[in-house]
Amino acid sequence: MIVFLVGGFRFAISAGAVKEIRSMEGLQPFTLGGISAQIAKLRYTLERGGATYFVVDAAQHFQLLPAQPSRVLILRNSPAAVLVDSMDRIMEISALHALPRAFTQEERGWYRGLAVVNGAVVPVVNHNAFLNKAELEILRAGLERVRGEVMA
Amino acid sequence: MTASGDKSYVLFPLGKKRFALPAEVVTELARPDSVQTFPHRTPMLSGVLVRRGRIVPVCDVAQVLVGPAAPPRKFYLIANCKRESRQELTAVPVTGECELASAPFAPLTGREPHYITGLLAMGDETVEIVALEKLISAEAMP
Repeated sequence: MIVFLVGGFRFAISAGAVKEIRSMEGLQPFTLGGISAQIAKLRYTLERGGATYFVVDAAQHFQLLPAQPSRVLILRNSPAAVLVDSMDRIMEISALHALPRAFTQEERGWYRGLAVVNGAVVPVVNHNAFLNKAELEILRAGLERVRGEVMA
Repeated sequence: MTASGDKSYVLFPLGKKRFALPAEVVTELARPDSVQTFPHRTPMLSGVLVRRGRIVPVCDVAQVLVGPAAPPRKFYLIANCKRESRQELTAVPVTGECELASAPFAPLTGREPHYITGLLAMGDETVEIVALEKLISAEAMP
């Protein structure tokens, strides 16, 4: 697991879900007409190895106060990357606890479960939730529309 | 007044008022422990406790039962709560020591919220019996 910090909270993500960790260098503000308003957490794009990554602000994703991001996690097998404050450590966890059913709101999609690290509870994020299917569809449709306008 | 029979209740204080949970759902009264928090959007949940390797959600029912002016919570009453046909431990912060009691029922007035399932007549005091599942599910509604 890779442990990272956002807004003073620790989160863990499966190391296999992360392709690369890099600085914020090369981020371009995301200003695709209409989509920025629909997916407010989408802040930047990043061109890397011929691919375009859509960079999600983790603080906005988790509905936290604006944070001080300094690192970008590029996700594997996904067009998403995640803006986080800093990296904490890489570690193994022995057990993934299910999120208690008492939690009933958006967090059920945000997290795969909870890990206990030296007595501290760390949520393990669901990396597929940073840009979910509906949001990817909005992006795809928006990009097609923009391409159509350019062709015309 | 109807007798509550052999049924026992755990009476817990929230400020100046006391409430009751059926004793059979209560597993322990825990000393103050560090509540651990992480981002979430579920109302009333203030975090989780780690108890004997298990993760127990902390549900601060005082906000609903006595309002925001409840004094600091000192202990955690840990109770079994049924969710989606499964039992799950839930920690309820309380403001003082608890008491195990049996008492006759007092008649419901009809004005109680639906999560109050009965009243216990404890001398001059009437103690509301709380159905934790109903209270939590009502507050979790968007």
